[in-house]
Amino acid sequence: MINTNRLRNGARAAAIALGLFSITGILGMAQAQNRPQEVNVFSGRHYNTDKELYAEFTRRTGIKVNLLEGKDDELIQRLKSEGRNSKADLLVLVDAARLYRAQEDNLFRPIRSAELNKDVPANLRDPGGRWFALTRRARPVMVNTAQVNPNLIRTYADLTRPELKGKLCLRNRASVYSQSLVADELVRRGAPSTRRWVEGLVANRKGSFYTSDTTMVRAVGQGQCGATIANQYYLARMLRGDNAADREAAKKVRVVWPNPTHVNVTAGGVTQSSRNPEGARRLLEFLASPTSGEGYAAANNEYPLKGWGNNPTLKAFGTFKSSPVSMEQLGRRNREAVQLMTQAGWQ
Amino acid sequence: MVLVVSLLALLPLITLVQGALFNGGGQHLGLGWDGPSQVLGTLQLVLGEGVVGALLGTSIGWLTATCRFRGRRWFRIAQLVPMAFPAYLLAASLVDWGSYRGIQIHGLGWAVALLSLANYSYVFLLSTESFSMSGSRLLEASRCLGVGPWASFFRIALPIALPSIGAGVALSAMEVVNELGAVRLLGVPSLSAGILDRWQVDGDPQGAALLALVALAIVAVLIVSERLLRRRSRRWNLDGESGAGPMWDLKGWRAGLAQLLCGLPPLAAIAIPALWIQQGWQGLQAEPLDELLQLAGRSLALAFAATGVTCAGALLLAICRRWIPQAAMQQLTFVAGLGYAIPGSVLALGLMVFGGPLMLSPVLLLLWGYGDRFMAVAKQGLDASLERIPPSIDETAASLGCSWLEVLQRVHLPLLRGPLLVGSLLVFVDVVKELPITLALRAFDFDTLAVRVFQYASDERVGAAMGPALLIMVLGLAASLALIPSLERRG
Repeated sequence: MINTNRLRNGARAAAIALGLFSITGILGMAQAQNRPQEVNVFSGRHYNTDKELYAEFTRRTGIKVNLLEGKDDELIQRLKSEGRNSKADLLVLVDAARLYRAQEDNLFRPIRSAELNKDVPANLRDPGGRWFALTRRARPVMVNTAQVNPNLIRTYADLTRPELKGKLCLRNRASVYSQSLVADELVRRGAPSTRRWVEGLVANRKGSFYTSDTTMVRAVGQGQCGATIANQYYLARMLRGDNAADREAAKKVRVVWPNPTHVNVTAGGVTQSSRNPEGARRLLEFLASPTSGEGYAAANNEYPLKGWGNNPTLKAFGTFKSSPVSMEQLGRRNREAVQLMTQAGWQ
Repeated sequence: MVLVVSLLALLPLITLVQGALFNGGGQHLGLGWDGPSQVLGTLQLVLGEGVVGALLGTSIGWLTATCRFRGRRWFRIAQLVPMAFPAYLLAASLVDWGSYRGIQIHGLGWAVALLSLANYSYVFLLSTESFSMSGSRLLEASRCLGVGPWASFFRIALPIALPSIGAGVALSAMEVVNELGAVRLLGVPSLSAGILDRWQVDGDPQGAALLALVALAIVAVLIVSERLLRRRSRRWNLDGESGAGPMWDLKGWRAGLAQLLCGLPPLAAIAIPALWIQQGWQGLQAEPLDELLQLAGRSLALAFAATGVTCAGALLLAICRRWIPQAAMQQLTFVAGLGYAIPGSVLALGLMVFGGPLMLSPVLLLLWGYGDRFMAVAKQGLDASLERIPPSIDETAASLGCSWLEVLQRVHLPLLRGPLLVGSLLVFVDVVKELPITLALRAFDFDTLAVRVFQYASDERVGAAMGPALLIMVLGLAASLALIPSLERRG
């Protein structure tokens, strides 16, 4: 009986504790509910420096920024499910394919802004004013010069040359970066030659497809791979990072800019469900403006919307000619690109 | 009451299936391009992990429960360590560590190894409890009759422990069906990834629901076969709690082998993240301490609340299943546990579709999701233990004039203390590690440790992910170590 009593008391105490915990949690939530002059941001980016930018925006305008960071596809799905009830005002996504998907799902509300039109180049925003790019990233070729002569590579097509047989490391098909690269080729060169190109890449590859850019770049630095295609900021991050082994490996990697180079963006748009579209537009204008845009790009070693920025590591990589393909075209051809990759054995 | 709990558990699923089947566009039904390889991938993972996990968990469970060798007690405790490490964390750290060494960690073999490591503790916990509790008198008797240790294991202990082993394997297999992060990182095609991609990337809810049904079918087969096993070997435990110690002395190479077998898995589970941290500590970017504490506080609060809700629900279902022998009740409680089999992100979608229009608080939805998802974790152990309590005890209590509440309080709760504690700690650890539901349902500025790790890891910023990852492991370890007393009592 003593046992039972002790158990009962224990259970009661535990129940009270649990109740208190949940109540404090729920009260905490209630506090975070919407108040006027707040902007709620759904963002696919995760940088602590972003928060400093948002704080700066609040200092200037008095508009508080609430943040929910997540994975892009998941945020799109959440916005779709929440529909009109969604609290999100601004949706920030990485990669053209996802922007297009959100646009097709009618999640963005078209806005007019002279400032945004001035700050964001025409091919980096939606013609209908639904989304505007905030930063640019490029996907160059990276080689280990001990294994591959960089002069062999002038375009992405050169990666199918027989000299690179068994030396090329590739990111997997599930990565949206790979998909958008193939979509870029599809727009510029058409389906038949893109198909031959993809088959050539797959034939030249070494080992299994990689599930992250960083491990791929590291493999090039160590000489496991002769060449790869990766976003510039992964290499920049390794070069600027604190890990000595990574810095050493990264120093052995040479960036080769294909002509033209595939470029992609991080972009934002005001949501259909927004209850504060005015505030959301102002935040978008703030993020796209040259001064804060530089900060937004610097957080991840990305390029600003215009020019090459002041990042010394990126400057050392040199400059490139961007692909003329618009973000909208990239999104439109995404599905076709994935299908083509699947058929060619790109896993 | 049961109806309410079951209905709550089923609601998200019903919403989803209905939404998928009736609101979907006119797209063709079919597994699609990747469907077959995803089904195959998941089957291979389940089979591989099932076999390796069952072998590891059962043999370690047997050795540490019934054999005496140096360090047995410590080895027993050490088996709780791997539970603290989520599979996605083990995979991420191993892939990263390997890439520094020029090893590409990739593919099915690694996935099976890692998932077995992360999940064999389920089998160990449930089987060792059975080995040390239910059969000791029988084992003693068989020993007096001259039956050797191997024969005792195969002819007596194993059949008695089969329901517990089956429950453990079923739990770990469901965990595998659900695993997303690790299999993605290792490049193994799987249903869990397929469901998400069909839904979110292809915008094809019907296709996703179809794949989810395949996943459900796999799990249903697992659960049903576990039940058949259990029915075949139903034996009541008439000993009550017996504290008989281990019976066979292991000496020399046998002891060495036992130590090796019991020591390797926990060592590997610690070594993988430790090597990773040793490799990358220079790049460790410490998050501000107050930020980390805030994240940990949210993880803890959610885990405590969810554990309470889940265990209460599981206890109710398990008891009702025992007392109301109608077939419908059996089916209902069975189905209510299915949430464990539904990929967390799919469950979250169902809750979102259902809870969004009702403007339910995100925390409420989160707890609902956790409860639905982990009900089976708490319930499996309870069911298995209830089966070992002879119904005559209930009948005796009732004939002495106890109401059902009194029977529950004075008979079952004391007898179920062990499995209830084990169940709640398992749920606690699972919630701390949980990612997809939290990611999908949390409110603005309400990140948890797991969410933060995932965000950094998906940006490939390993140094930044290390701080919160370490905290998850510490919390998981602390909760696992809380299981020691219940292990000790039986050991």
